[in-house]
Amino acid sequence: MMKRIWPIAVAVITDSLRRKVVYVVLVFAALLAMAIPSLPDYGLGVEGAVFREVALALVYVTGLIIALSLAANRIPAEFERRTVYNVLTKGVSRWEYLVGTWLGIFSVMAGTIAAFTIVEQVVGLITYGDPMWRLWQGALAVLLEMGVVTAFAAAVSTITGPVVVVTITLAALFIGHSRSTLLGGEGALGLQPFYPSLDAFNVVNPVAHGTGVPLLYLASMVVVFVGFVGLFLSLGSFVLGRRDL
Amino acid sequence: MADENVTAIRISGARKTYKVTGRPHKIAVDDVGISVVGGSIHGLLGPNGAGKTTTLKMLLGLVRPTGGTFEIFGEDSTKPRGRRSLGFLPEQPYFPMNLTATQAMRFYGRLVGVPRSELTGDASLLLSRVGLEDAARTELTKFSRGMLQRLGIAQALLGHPRVVILDEPASGLDPVGQRDIRKLMLELRSEGVTVLLSSHQLSEVEAVCDRVSILNRGRLAAEGDINALLNVSGRTSVRVAGIDVLPVALSDLAEDVAVSSGVLVFSVPTGKTRLVVDAIDEARGTIISVMPKRDSLEDYFARLLETTAGEVTVP
Repeated sequence: MMKRIWPIAVAVITDSLRRKVVYVVLVFAALLAMAIPSLPDYGLGVEGAVFREVALALVYVTGLIIALSLAANRIPAEFERRTVYNVLTKGVSRWEYLVGTWLGIFSVMAGTIAAFTIVEQVVGLITYGDPMWRLWQGALAVLLEMGVVTAFAAAVSTITGPVVVVTITLAALFIGHSRSTLLGGEGALGLQPFYPSLDAFNVVNPVAHGTGVPLLYLASMVVVFVGFVGLFLSLGSFVLGRRDL
Repeated sequence: MADENVTAIRISGARKTYKVTGRPHKIAVDDVGISVVGGSIHGLLGPNGAGKTTTLKMLLGLVRPTGGTFEIFGEDSTKPRGRRSLGFLPEQPYFPMNLTATQAMRFYGRLVGVPRSELTGDASLLLSRVGLEDAARTELTKFSRGMLQRLGIAQALLGHPRVVILDEPASGLDPVGQRDIRKLMLELRSEGVTVLLSSHQLSEVEAVCDRVSILNRGRLAAEGDINALLNVSGRTSVRVAGIDVLPVALSDLAEDVAVSSGVLVFSVPTGKTRLVVDAIDEARGTIISVMPKRDSLEDYFARLLETTAGEVTVP
């Protein structure tokens, strides 16, 4: 199984790196990270917290751009150019193809987020003399959430084109972070356990302003990640398995 | 040679319909059955829209059949496991264009399970087999249409497949390339590999195929040994030199009379061959050949498409 999934993932990684989109996003984000200390609203004693908060926001946006640009385009483009024929006729299952594609994008994202976090650490160290190791907890949370977003976008992209994928994914992301807004009323509280919330990945407060995220909470985030990714990739595989190519 | 005399590909009752909003279902393929003997070259012919590509796609698991069974060496080929002894060249093959030829071959090689230690060697061997040895390190963006076609054939041969399905393999190739592909197909057959060839190039099919299946309007219009299909039943073709006109004794028997470069060609009923030979001898002509009269595949194909509206011819 992995001997077919991993080559597909490697092909996605190679293709993504050659397209240079990742580098452009990364350089742009790094420039923004270096500009954070020059923000005018800095109050005495909270510079580090503000830096961490903005840095996490930048990681989030960077991850989202990469997730959407890669996940929304990859599968529809392979269908359109028919490069998928050469893959699927070699005894590769459609679910293996989908999982391999997701794994490749997730790996690219992991590398990008890690690189960006290192840049932020360096900026933090130079500016405030603090390497800000807690940023890695935030980076992990962003990576896991973007893994879910990628799985969702990849699943949707098995039946529709890039523009619709991006629109639906952004809408899903909004819904995923609106549980308290949409189900905040007392009458809707009973529905909250069934709400597809992504709030589990929001660790900005403990990372930026608190003392960090407990290990057990990080582990529970991974469980939520596995559950959502498994669900979306299963749905995507089901849909893709029924599609004529 | 182990696959000879076994059924390599079996398609039976293949059917594909498409939903069209507000209209009756469109029938793309209807009750098509094809059986390909192991170690042979089998041609799949038909005009545009006949259902060839849809039938192949169903066999390859790319399109979900509405009905029918699809087997490669007894395994359901609509399932991934059933396609693991298969190589496929799509019509107009496309590749991730930022790879080099070797990188593309290594990628596809890994998918078919070629051991990592053999990837480079196999890729190099197959690239040279299709005449791309000098372009192994060239990015595919710089490949011509013909070179991509050759690469498509090379990737179809990765992992030593027992069955190779080629959809328009000569498409985009120059005459030398087309000759190379014909030679390659014959080599594969001699190695015991089964080839299913879908092609518009009737001369190519006629030159290499042992059997053909002809589709028309989504149905099987004819299937059989190519010689049996093309030989005109009950008539013999005679070629004679040394005389310009037919002997009087043959004037009522001969048909399709033509003279070309001093050679007289005509056909006669097979039962009258002895009479023909004697008459030519008496006229002091020289018999060059006497053989069963054979249609060109092109003529047969055109006639079949004009006359068939779905009936099956199985000689």
